[in-house]
Amino acid sequence: MATAVHLDGITKRFPGVVANDDVDLEVERGTVHALLGENGAGKTTLMNVLYGLYEPTSGEVRLGGEPHVFGSPRDAIDAGIGMIHQHFMLVDPMTVTENITLGNEPRKWGGIAIDRTEAREAVVELADRYGFDIDPDARIEDVSVGEQQRVEILKALYRGADTLILDEPTAVLTPQEVDELFDVLDELTDQGKTIIFITHKLGEAMRAADEISVLRDGKKVGTVDADATTQEELAELMVGREVLLDVDHGTAETGAVVAAVSDVVVENDRGVRAVNDVSFEVRGGEVFGIAGVDGNGQSELVEAVTGLRNPDAGEIRFGGEDVTTASRRQRIDAGMAYVPEDRQERGLVMEFDLVENGLLGSQHGDELVSNGRIDWSKTRGHAEAIIDEYDVRPPDADSDAESLSGGNQQKFIVGREFERDPELVVASHPTRGVDVGSIEFIHERLLELRQQGVAILLVSSKLEEVQGLSDRLAVVYEGEFIDVVDPDETTEEELGLLMAGERPGDDDGEGGTKATGSESADETERDKPADPTDAADGERA
Amino acid sequence: MSAADRARDALSRLVDASATERILISTAALVLSILIGAVLVLVAGRMTTCTAGEAVYYLGMGFCYDPVVVFDRLFLGALGDPFSGSWSPNGQFAVTLRETTLLIFTGLSVALAFRAGIFNIGTQGQMVVGALATALGVLWASSLVSGALGTVVLIPFGLLVGAVFGGLYGAVPGLLKAYADANEVITTIMLNFIATGVALYLVSGIFKDPESAANQTVPLPEFAQFPALLFGGRQDFSIVALAFGLLAIAALYYVLEHTAFGYDVRTSGVQPEAAEYGGVDAKRTVVASLTLSGALGGIAGAMYVMMVLGTFQTGIPSYGFDGITVSILAGNNPLGVGIAALLFGVLKSGTTVVQFATDVPPQLVGVLRGLIILFVAMPEFFRLMARGLPGTGSKSKAVATDGGTAGDRGGETDE
Repeated sequence: MATAVHLDGITKRFPGVVANDDVDLEVERGTVHALLGENGAGKTTLMNVLYGLYEPTSGEVRLGGEPHVFGSPRDAIDAGIGMIHQHFMLVDPMTVTENITLGNEPRKWGGIAIDRTEAREAVVELADRYGFDIDPDARIEDVSVGEQQRVEILKALYRGADTLILDEPTAVLTPQEVDELFDVLDELTDQGKTIIFITHKLGEAMRAADEISVLRDGKKVGTVDADATTQEELAELMVGREVLLDVDHGTAETGAVVAAVSDVVVENDRGVRAVNDVSFEVRGGEVFGIAGVDGNGQSELVEAVTGLRNPDAGEIRFGGEDVTTASRRQRIDAGMAYVPEDRQERGLVMEFDLVENGLLGSQHGDELVSNGRIDWSKTRGHAEAIIDEYDVRPPDADSDAESLSGGNQQKFIVGREFERDPELVVASHPTRGVDVGSIEFIHERLLELRQQGVAILLVSSKLEEVQGLSDRLAVVYEGEFIDVVDPDETTEEELGLLMAGERPGDDDGEGGTKATGSESADETERDKPADPTDAADGERA
Repeated sequence: MSAADRARDALSRLVDASATERILISTAALVLSILIGAVLVLVAGRMTTCTAGEAVYYLGMGFCYDPVVVFDRLFLGALGDPFSGSWSPNGQFAVTLRETTLLIFTGLSVALAFRAGIFNIGTQGQMVVGALATALGVLWASSLVSGALGTVVLIPFGLLVGAVFGGLYGAVPGLLKAYADANEVITTIMLNFIATGVALYLVSGIFKDPESAANQTVPLPEFAQFPALLFGGRQDFSIVALAFGLLAIAALYYVLEHTAFGYDVRTSGVQPEAAEYGGVDAKRTVVASLTLSGALGGIAGAMYVMMVLGTFQTGIPSYGFDGITVSILAGNNPLGVGIAALLFGVLKSGTTVVQFATDVPPQLVGVLRGLIILFVAMPEFFRLMARGLPGTGSKSKAVATDGGTAGDRGGETDE
């Protein structure tokens, strides 16, 4: 078999972060290759390099043996690469045909008009060839998400793609649609197309892919044959055997219940139940962790606790008061600090400098503001103290938030929230995108707060983080707590399986896991040793 | 690089320009618009006929209109010819300042709403409501006090009435937006028509001055109008009103930059999600900022009644709409509104001077004015608009990278 795509020593650096570090990747023609890794492992960045969105800092892209340099996605498309992004790029009020042919419409009358008949025929023919069931005249806004995804795939094929990159294609699909998608992928590879499929779900990778490459912290830690691996092996590769941040966890005096969530139901923006009947308590001096694959309701739960989203049922108590419908401001005033998941949408005002951003959330308090009048010199001092203590770079309070790298933005937010003298800290992915040294510092500060009796609700998709910091750890799957475990008594592999929806004591895998491939895992030879070269690749720098 | 990329690039450069760069861009735009306007004047001058004595000669060609005279009248004329020795406080300069004063208030009204992320097209309507309320309120109150005491009492009273009623009229679209999710652009435009229509109905009916043929209220007594200190009274300008305007500029600047309320407004304007995160009550902020915006529009109406007309008459000039341009010209900065209002005032008052001094048709002067405003406002306008576009400057979203690289946003463009 010939190599369709060959990435050779790709390194991609962003200010302060190495997103891809010397990654080699070979993808055989006519196969499905899964790119597996945790959030932030560099999967999407790597594929954006292949798709021409980023220029690699070093390294080479070869297609069918030929080196290529892509200045833009246009170049990559011309070379036969198609990418289907997680968020579809379709024009809702336009029809399927119009979307597929957009920008490359067949012309008539010497090029001045679009030949709609021919466009429609081309789309029908393309759909027939790959066995897609799709109505070429339907409007995008009227078709299901699964169909929209097929339109995206057809769009790429229409533009002549030989290699398709799918970025987390199953994240938006129902289990049935996932099955359909995998059938489509089979059909495409049968006809000689090459698929690269980004995912962080072990079961899916094993089910859909022929080969699986695992990325961790921007490095490739191994490529395995999907038929010859196990979920345990993949989880190990993904998370890394040696836990980088072995936090000296210690114990703290657990105090009274600070926050209590009971039977909370939260709907997401599409009206789907994202959080289903969840109850838990967080006590002072305790870190309560929530682990789970992103998108299983963590965001909605956190937003309900912090007051950005109203729960549809249930009660949230904070400091003894019922705050179920209390405003953000009331919760901030009552001592709730919140490190939000989305730092650039929520956590910082991108156009404001750090002095102004240091005030966000405190503008109604009495520390920096008196009688509605902002004390700017005090506010500046406050921002400078955060910058200093949390090592925000560049150390300049006058720089705009948007000029900072993601990790430094995050450090500033964490600093601002931790220094609020809170009763409860809700930290959602507090170290996402932050460099290793600062992760350690943030973790230390978090445990210091715990030592002072602050209650901490920690949500992270990084297993090592929630496991290392939490006193109690809940695993969330599809909006429900699968289990609440003692993180010290539980292995990463066990947690990985819980995160995939396997309920404890539920060995035969019927615990509601429609989507993930627990069956195929059972069928494969679990004890077959991994390729020894992978282990060598797996070490961290 | 394709043309689209280049356009995008130019746009992001505009969006990211610093304050100094913006002033330079505006100045360059002004000069450029004058040059283009000059060419237009020359071309128009070739296409008309005049006697040889009236013509002016450039490069051996005769032109009927002289751009130098036109622009000299437009600018120096509007300032009352400060270099001619015949400058008088009662002359054209007072007209310029009168226009400036009114535009300061309507400009601030629009700017405040803009800063909160709200497009208030309703300043005109708020001005009409404020003007009518002031006229009626002051008429009623003028029977209670008189003389110098009357002036001292009635002017603040009139401004207050204008502010309150303009504010209430601004609160209507605010409430509709906050609690009924009604687009403020639509509602404020509608409310403009309603204000004009209702005012016409009232003033042509129960509040009509029986002794006047026009649709107007009974004139206010002299003591209930702004005193003509220093500038005489001939041009309906009062330095007191301008002082109020400058005070309003300073006050609004202070509110926006130094108070928690202003911080909430600005945060809501640039990033509503972050404002919500920071504990800002979005609904309250919308209502509060539109109310305040309406109050400023109402004060403009009060000024128009108590300084210019001395009565309420239907058909108030479009100061409210001009306020939108003034605000955009000023980048929605209160301090900038002062300068933009002055430029606008100069152009408005200069137009009449040009018409007196030359044969240039008024339509052409209108074109010159429009060119200047268009050129000076466009960079700011693009800055405003571009914030909503992907791939330019601050609001652009990074291409879906893994979390670790999100700090690199803005450098890359989506497809």
